[in-house]
Formats: sequence, structure tokens, C-alpha cells
Amino acid sequence: MPHRPTIALSMLAAMTAASLAAQEPEAPAERTTIGGYGEVHYTNRSGLRSPGEVNVKRFVVFLSHTFSDRLVFRSELELEDTRLEGGEDGGEVALEQAYLDYRLSDAATLRTGLVLTPVGIINEVHEPPTFNGVARPQFDREVIPTTWREIGVGMVGSLSASRGLAYRVYLVSGLRADGFGGGTGLRGGRQGGKEASFANPSLTGRLEWARPGLKLAGSFWYGGSANQDTLIGTDSFDAPVLMLAADARYDAGPLSFRGVVVRATIGDAAGINQAYGTDVGSRIQGGYLEGAVNLVQLLQPAAGQRLLAFARHERYDLHAAVPAGTSRNQAYARRVTTLGLAYKPLWNVVFKADYAIFRNRAGAGEDEALALGVGYQF
Amino acid sequence: MHQSERRSRWLPGGLAALLLVALPSLAPLAAQSVPARKLLASLERVYGQGLRADSIALDGATVLRVRRNDSVLGFAQVRDVMGKDQPITYLVATDTALVLRDIDILVYREAYGGEVAYEAWRKQFRGRDARDSLVVGRQIRGISGATISVNAVTLGVRQAVGQLAEWRRAGRL
Repeated sequence: MPHRPTIALSMLAAMTAASLAAQEPEAPAERTTIGGYGEVHYTNRSGLRSPGEVNVKRFVVFLSHTFSDRLVFRSELELEDTRLEGGEDGGEVALEQAYLDYRLSDAATLRTGLVLTPVGIINEVHEPPTFNGVARPQFDREVIPTTWREIGVGMVGSLSASRGLAYRVYLVSGLRADGFGGGTGLRGGRQGGKEASFANPSLTGRLEWARPGLKLAGSFWYGGSANQDTLIGTDSFDAPVLMLAADARYDAGPLSFRGVVVRATIGDAAGINQAYGTDVGSRIQGGYLEGAVNLVQLLQPAAGQRLLAFARHERYDLHAAVPAGTSRNQAYARRVTTLGLAYKPLWNVVFKADYAIFRNRAGAGEDEALALGVGYQF
Repeated sequence: MHQSERRSRWLPGGLAALLLVALPSLAPLAAQSVPARKLLASLERVYGQGLRADSIALDGATVLRVRRNDSVLGFAQVRDVMGKDQPITYLVATDTALVLRDIDILVYREAYGGEVAYEAWRKQFRGRDARDSLVVGRQIRGISGATISVNAVTLGVRQAVGQLAEWRRAGRL
């Protein structure tokens, strides 16, 4: 047993501690990492007697490069619906994220580039094995316009490891009111980093508190949306959008729960509707609750595989309030109930099946859909 | 109009303040090592003050035998485990019977998942050893949004205590 002479730890600290870490094969300082996620869907919205539709919904390549221990570039390039062809609907090749992280300390990493808006759960964490249901919750399309990303600069970090607090805050390019819609909410107003206007610098952030099995968070977005259109205003914060959100995730043995609530107000919705001939609501609000049980763990607690049965109820109103001159559309008060199964042979591979029931207060165009899917991440 | 001018003055000011906060903490870019002070603080938090240590070389790895005066307090090891795209540098610290007294995250470099450094999560490892099934979802509870890091560190700790137990069985530790 080859021993080195006993040394005081203060001297040890003076020694290069790298020699201690060197026992493990250390990754080279500069390197490139590839990863990815994707999902293939079968959806039948018209009843089992008529044919369904199959689609490679997403194929995403994650590419990161580590320049040094403190400087890392990360990106996600997404291909939606298999291919993009001129003159045809559907299909999208898009950068989902592309940012440079400069790690200053545990408490502060400077993040610059195309970043994900840290509002709600799914916008930041949407790899298929991480959520239940074949499609993402409809709430995370119509209320929180997932995948919501803009270009900007900000800080992320851990506020206190002993208290379990983390934050992210970014200054980014804003939403554009000319893309808002009554039935589509803020979705069309995202710029996504495509030759984006910085006329309305917007602030977005998130504070998280976590313990084993539990994560609670509050998040916000605040910024103007007028984009210097003289019809609604040329100031940076004209036609302001304020979104406040809270989310929770809780796991206890075989049971898991998650929920999100959002309240968004659109300032000068009357002016926006007048300028663009739309019927945007002045307030959008709602949320969803989901519960799941791991059937495998109930039957065989030692098993590593998981079979989750879940139920989710979404309820939101894109016309929770309307400005003067816009009449309230009851079809925008939507409810979605989804029941389904997810089988995960490993934590990062999932087979999904679910049945979703779409309802709205007007009772118009109601629908039900059966969906099957596979998803992965690596 | 004067309102927007006030705002445009405020923005550069905010950025300047951000830089002032960031500049003093600019550390050597090439630093690839564990900050020695952080390792020492971490060991003192686990074992108390006045420590001495000798390093034992085993199969190319280095194990620290931690002692105070003439009594051995336990064994510690600094290791790396790969997360999503970065190594996570962590410490395992055991007593003389190779039961974990604590683990610590010495350097965390990933974009998401820093929750593994939280004490509430780390303390689940205290009192565990190589006979425990250190698996996420069984003895170790995960944290949503930190799945990759949680799995990586749990695997790393399981390998570390397994390796220490093997050396002990072989009479080398």
C-alpha cells in the first residue's frame, strides 16, 4: 500500500487539487457533445372508422461545444413534421436554442443568445419522456406559447444550495402584437429570434424552490408588444404584456402530480384589435392539473421500469376578459381532459397512448382524439 | 416621450451594473480543477476542523485517509461523473466502516440540474453504503427538471462506494 507522508489539510489545499481529480479520466478541456430527442405520433381525431394520421412530430439534435471549463455553447436544432418543402403547409426547421454560457460562479452564469422563456414547466423541459400525453398539453400551446424562445442576455444560477433556491432572469426581444389572435392568444406574436425586432425589450424570469420530490416555481414575462407601430404606440413598453405563472411538481412513491396556473394581461387590447382587426382578449388565464400513478411500482416496488396511468384536466379562457368593443367568444373558454398510459422501459425512452376530450363553453367544434406515440432523449 | 427616454437611459445603466457585478468574479478561463479551498471547506464541514490527510494511491485513483491527531475519521474521494454535456465533480466522504457521511458537489457545470448540490437532496446519501441500492426512485428521490444530473450523481456515488468496498475486501484500504 504505497502511502504518501501525512500532510495537514491546509497544505493539501495549497497542493493543486487537480491531482486529486486526476484519478478519473478527465474529459479534455475542449470537446463537442451530441444528443437529441424526438417523438413520433399517431393521432386520430375523427373516430376509429376513419384513418388516423402519423407524423414524426419532432426530431431534435442537441449540439454543444465546451470551449473551457467555464465557457460552453449549447444548441438545439429542430425538424418538425419530417420535412420542409416549398409551397406546402407544415414542416419547420428551427433553432430551438442557441446560447453561450459563461459560468462565473455557482451563483451566476451569464447566458447570451437564443434562450427558452422560463415560464411554466413545458417550455423549458419538453423532452418527450419528461411529460405525460402524446402531445404536449394544449395549455402549453395556447396559453404559454411553447416553444417560446427569444434572443437576449441574462443570468442563471443557484441562490442558495442549502435553501434550495435557483433563479433565471433574461432581457430578451419582445412579443409583437400584430401576431396576437383571439383564439390563438400570444402564439403568433413570438419572434423566435428570426430577424427579431428589439423595439420592445422584455424581461422574463423564474424563481424555483426544490427539495427531493418537490419543485415549486414562480415565473413572469413583462414587456411591450407595440413594435413601434404608430397605431398602438412607439414607446418600448407600449401595449404591455404581463404574464404571471406558478407551477408545482410533486412525486411521492408511485404517485406524481404537476400543475400550472397562468394569468396574462394584455394592455391596450382594444387598440390592438382596432389596429389589426383581431379579437384579442385583455386577459388570458387558466391552468391544468395532472396526476399519475406508477402501476409497476404498486405491483413490484423493486422494478426499475415504469408504467404510468395519468389523468390531466386543462381549463383556460383566452377571453377571460375582453376590451371594450370586442365581444366575448365562449368557444375560447376551453377544457381538455386527457386520460392515458406511458410505459418507460428506461427513464429516457417512452411509449405513450392517450385519449383526449376537447370541450368549450360554446359547445362548438368539440372533438375527441386518440393518440399513440413514442419518444426518446439522449 | 420623456418617459421612453428615461427608460433608454435606464437600460445601459443596468447593463453596466451587470458588468460591474460580473467582472470581479472573472476567474481563469482554463481552470479545470477543483478549487482547493472548496474541497477543504467541504471536508471540514463533514469531519470538523483540524484535519490531516494522507493520500493512498490505488489502481491509479487517489483516496484520502482523513484523520485528526492519531485517529482515522474516514475516507474521501474526489471524482467526476458525466452529466448531459459536462463532468460533474463530486466528493464522497465515508467513515472508517465505509458508510457515507456525506457527498458534496464540488464543481457543477451543466445548464440545468444544479439541484443536485442542494443539501436536501445530498443528505439522502448519509448513512448509506455499498449494500444499499442507491437507485433513483428507490432509496434516492429525484428532482423534476434535474433528472440527468440526479441519475449521473447517484450512479457516480454508487460506483464510488462499490469501489471502496472492493478495496476493503481485498485488504487494501
